[in-house]
Amino acid sequence: MIAEPLVVVVGGGGVGKTTVAAALGVASARGGSATLVETFDPSRRLKDALGVGEEAADRPVAVPFETPAELCASLLDAKGTFDRLVVRYAPDAAARRRILDNRFYRHLSGSLAGVLEYMAVERLYELSEERRFSRIVLDTPPTAQALDFLNAPERIVAFLDSGALRIALKPWFDPRGRLAPTRRLGVLGRGVEAFFDTVVGLDLLKDMWEFFQAFAPLFDGFRGRALAVQALLRRPETVFVLVASAAHERIPDTLFFARKLAERGLRLAAVVLNRIHPELPPPPDGLAPAWAEQRRLLAWLGERDARGVAALKALLGSLPVVELPLVAEEPSTLPALERMADLLAARWPAVP
Amino acid sequence: MPPLLPQLRSRRLLVVTGKGGVGKTTMAAVLAVTLADAGRRVLLLEADPRENAHQLFDVPPSAGEIVQVSPRLALQNLSPRRVMDEVVRERLRLEVLVRRVLASPVYEHFAGGAPGLKEVALLGHAWRVLHGRAAATGRVDTVVLDAPATGHGVSLLRAPALVTEVIRSGPFARMARDISSLVGDASRCAVAVVTTLQEMPVQEALELLETLPGLLGRPLDVVVANAVLPPLARGADEADAAAEVWRRMHGAQQRELQRLKRGWDGPLVALPLLPLPAGRALVEALQRRWQEEAA
Repeated sequence: MIAEPLVVVVGGGGVGKTTVAAALGVASARGGSATLVETFDPSRRLKDALGVGEEAADRPVAVPFETPAELCASLLDAKGTFDRLVVRYAPDAAARRRILDNRFYRHLSGSLAGVLEYMAVERLYELSEERRFSRIVLDTPPTAQALDFLNAPERIVAFLDSGALRIALKPWFDPRGRLAPTRRLGVLGRGVEAFFDTVVGLDLLKDMWEFFQAFAPLFDGFRGRALAVQALLRRPETVFVLVASAAHERIPDTLFFARKLAERGLRLAAVVLNRIHPELPPPPDGLAPAWAEQRRLLAWLGERDARGVAALKALLGSLPVVELPLVAEEPSTLPALERMADLLAARWPAVP
Repeated sequence: MPPLLPQLRSRRLLVVTGKGGVGKTTMAAVLAVTLADAGRRVLLLEADPRENAHQLFDVPPSAGEIVQVSPRLALQNLSPRRVMDEVVRERLRLEVLVRRVLASPVYEHFAGGAPGLKEVALLGHAWRVLHGRAAATGRVDTVVLDAPATGHGVSLLRAPALVTEVIRSGPFARMARDISSLVGDASRCAVAVVTTLQEMPVQEALELLETLPGLLGRPLDVVVANAVLPPLARGADEADAAAEVWRRMHGAQQRELQRLKRGWDGPLVALPLLPLPAGRALVEALQRRWQEEAA
């Protein structure tokens, strides 16, 4: 199916991305490649099916499944991944502690848009460097806009690019973090002073200043790493799989995302349209009215999805579209994942 | 159990939350229309920058402005940044200072990175609207807030506490405290959790139902199950493959419904899956069902 060693599964929320990622992992391991599925917030039943619990946070755990090659799963721990980056690039133990103990940093990983997305890619980089697996399938965190995922490293680097902030804050705190006398600041200082005093409050500013101050020695290393991580996504061994709903009204979003991937030089292996409602044969005559109404709803769903599939295929041109039918229950047992893997394999376009 | 609608009618703020893709915006619109029909002046506040709510009413996109939908219902799509800028303007007054602050890298970092601030700005706007402090909204009785789909539903309502922890003084700290007291007051604020009867949305709804009451110090008000299928109709032809499809889909939903009910014994409104695209007709049809269900 997929020849490349790194597979990034992307898509909007609620489309069954995690399940498709797990099924791709199953297919890969059955094809003889030692495979890791790195996932984020899978459902309880999928966790059970894969046999992974909290112990799989940040650590590959073997999935109890007879395959020619091993299949492992692991859960993304964004905070842990960020902490490891700090440890890696901090010049010494004191610098490391100043960041890890900083109040602003502790809240940062949970609140700053893009941290989670970035840490997912960082983790992919980390794992690919370890070279333990011949294939890694990365299930990406749900984002309001799937696009957030693509520029997350740039955004975080821009945020951490503390030069501008350190200069702006410099007159405010002395090297020991105490508030400097303000009368020397002149007109510009008074503008900033008004802002600090009345809008932000000095506590937060001090936390932020200390954080950016402490982060400065790490910044070059961190930026270099981010560039490498971003470059990993563009390397020939990486492909994307976009999972989407077939519903006709979702097609513009899917198309938009596919185009953005192409614009960024990222390679889309296929679009997987998940949970397609079946098209129904025309109703027989003389149906009971209540059933006729239910059947019309099913027919409407089938017709809506069929229109979506047709429209997307026409618009995507040569890009492969893999169609997965609706199943009553989201696959969450290994046999069910195997069936989905079979279906994916059968419908996947041949690798040229 | 007292009827739900009169209860919700007296609240000033309705927060509609739940996992992305479950029909939150549609439900927020249904609630907003229902309250407007009951005589309240309603502002439907949307936070998703992609703007979907206007399509439900066939009005132009808001782009931050108030769009009047009907005499008692208005719509606004709001970026948190805009609210923060407004607060800065109010506090500093002097245009030259305002411009300098808004352009400064310190503010950029503060607005972009302070934990919980974006969420507090959204709730804060609702508070300001209700207290007549927001520009150009006129008198509003009820704000219906369609919670942003980013991340987890709990992050919006957890934000005031988070902000209070990291920002101790100034207008944003005060804003966070005002919101905490509004959101924590069950007589002024209602929280509705929307879900579809699928595993992950139900999971997130159950987590919200478990976490939020403790976090807010008050019970939640209603769970809305969206896109629900009724049992297979009598007289369905067993040989018809469609009947089997329906039966399986309904069975899977029922299992999730039972799970949801084990974690929630409060008001539960089930709204049907309808063969209608997102738009005014869908909102109207769901509103009729809501009124029947919630009566």
